[in-house]
Amino acid sequence: MTDADEPGEPAAERAWSRPALAVLVGGGAALVLGTAVFLGLVFLSVAPPNSLSQRYQSQVDGLVYPEFEQNWKLFAPDPLQQNISVEARLRSAAGDGAWVDLTAQDIAAIRGNPIPSHVDQNLLRRAWDFYDGSHTSDENPVGQRGGLAQEYLKRIALQRLGRSLDGAPVTGIELRSATTAVAPPPWSTQQWSTAPQYRQLPWWPVSTADYGGLS
Amino acid sequence: MTGQPETGTEGLLAGIPRQGGQPAPADPTAVAPAPAVAPPSPPPLRPRLGAQLRDAVSAGCTAFSARPLARHQAAVVRIGFALVFTLHLLREWPHRRVLYGDRSPWSPGLVRDLLGDTHAFTVLVWRDEGWWFEGCYLLAILAGVLLLLGWRTRFSSVFFLVAVVSVQNRNILVGDGGDNIVHLMAIYLVFTRCAEVWSLDARRRARGGGGDAVGVLLWVLGGALLTAAQLTGHLTWRGDGWPYLGWSVLFWTLWAFAALWWLVGRRWPGGEPRAVLDALATMLHHCAMVVIAAQVVLVYSTAGWYKVQGSRWQDGSALYYPLHLDYFTPWPGLSALLGGSAVLVFVCSYGTVLVQVAFPFTLVNRRVKNVLLAVMITEHLAIAVLLGLPIFSLAMVAADAVFLPTGALLWLGGRVRSVLGAAGRRPVAT
Repeated sequence: MTDADEPGEPAAERAWSRPALAVLVGGGAALVLGTAVFLGLVFLSVAPPNSLSQRYQSQVDGLVYPEFEQNWKLFAPDPLQQNISVEARLRSAAGDGAWVDLTAQDIAAIRGNPIPSHVDQNLLRRAWDFYDGSHTSDENPVGQRGGLAQEYLKRIALQRLGRSLDGAPVTGIELRSATTAVAPPPWSTQQWSTAPQYRQLPWWPVSTADYGGLS
Repeated sequence: MTGQPETGTEGLLAGIPRQGGQPAPADPTAVAPAPAVAPPSPPPLRPRLGAQLRDAVSAGCTAFSARPLARHQAAVVRIGFALVFTLHLLREWPHRRVLYGDRSPWSPGLVRDLLGDTHAFTVLVWRDEGWWFEGCYLLAILAGVLLLLGWRTRFSSVFFLVAVVSVQNRNILVGDGGDNIVHLMAIYLVFTRCAEVWSLDARRRARGGGGDAVGVLLWVLGGALLTAAQLTGHLTWRGDGWPYLGWSVLFWTLWAFAALWWLVGRRWPGGEPRAVLDALATMLHHCAMVVIAAQVVLVYSTAGWYKVQGSRWQDGSALYYPLHLDYFTPWPGLSALLGGSAVLVFVCSYGTVLVQVAFPFTLVNRRVKNVLLAVMITEHLAIAVLLGLPIFSLAMVAADAVFLPTGALLWLGGRVRSVLGAAGRRPVAT
């Protein structure tokens, strides 16, 4: 949309013909209405679940997913108060390997880096969140997403740990998370343990297909 | 920039009450002009009220359709988000294949499974060959640069939208809040007249237009690409959820409108059909700018109101915790220093909630709004360094910029221009 009126020109006092006026009034009304509906539905999607958002659930979901999805609960209602480390170990015909702290690799890359990469800051961290959100406490996947999350997490670990262990091809992998609470602030009267809590995932079989594209 | 007074372009929402058809001073510190309507004098009330109402509605409709307001705000949002996305792609260049390409743990199979469920749009899964990915990544960088410069913005804004959505939807699981806001703004920007100032388009117009051939060429190219995508089944007319509109509807509508614009401009250069199109485009621009402003308000309101309920925000220790999260402490010594002060942590925690909750309400008073805006931009700059989130922070500053007063933007533009001039280049802005 190119050359508009000369900038600075006083607001047009144009006398519109009837058809032009009809187009403008109709178009303007449709735009205002569309804007109001759009903003209303986006508002309902970020507001707490309420009577209106339940009533118009399908419209809200239809509009917002997938391209207008948003989550602005940044550090809310409370900031994360624990460090979660994801560790992994491999299995091959030669035996089981040692635990490797994958998160520690991320942290090492972030330290002293003015522009951390998404590879270090988000890849593993969000993959673990995705896994956590799509699995029950006894590690059973929930829905289709659970299976995707499991394969994704497995491939992230395999990409970092390689294809062989002690000269033999990898046949299995096991992951665990170590959750450590941030120590209470020095001025706090509250006390809690900062010993790591482990969550052990089952051994997953590994085949060459799991390495597809990884290098 | 024209050097002429702007009409009601000071911050978007704060500008709306002043659209009495009277030019406002460009200087943000100047006292706001007296209302355009006659001073209230008691009787006779009835005819006055009716006339006032009619005048107000008429002035409102004129302001809505006559000429684009908030042109500098739209331009700075365009430049800001184009810059954020371009910097992101350049920064991730060494990791591009792991994040979005063939080496990604989020394999083509996994992403197709997820897309089958979400129906998100990305051209990156159309082919699995390496050249396709590398080409798309390079084109995405090009899209960012073109939008940044404001070159053929009606084309490059759509190009940018496709680039942003494609890259992000290839692996939605590596993004953060910064990517999220870029995604939304890339869509909204398509509907704004964001190249009225500070763009190559504006410079070309100021020099007397011309270059029709390039526009026609881009239009033909766009049509060919859309046809190819449509015939191979990658674009659909019907969406999967309400309101059941597929991407084809948007792309072909924009394409058809561009043709109409060009034809009408040739046939009736100064005529009414041309003016009608111009007014429609301006109304669309205003609606999109309201959506952008409302989106920023939603970000802060959501962030603020949900925090009010958090016990750590209530006890004033909330900011202590992010400063001790391994993933967000690139400078542990600095973080520990700040996190070690009970007073500082309390003031910053309460201040954050206060500012986020208060922000939408300060929009009715432009001075208070400007102070809060300065506080928020400062906070984002601090987050950039402390939490190691520079791209996220830059995106949030770009979003905040929609509320910057025109005077501040003109000053900033002047500074940038003098720096560019000192560097021996021709100014980009016009």
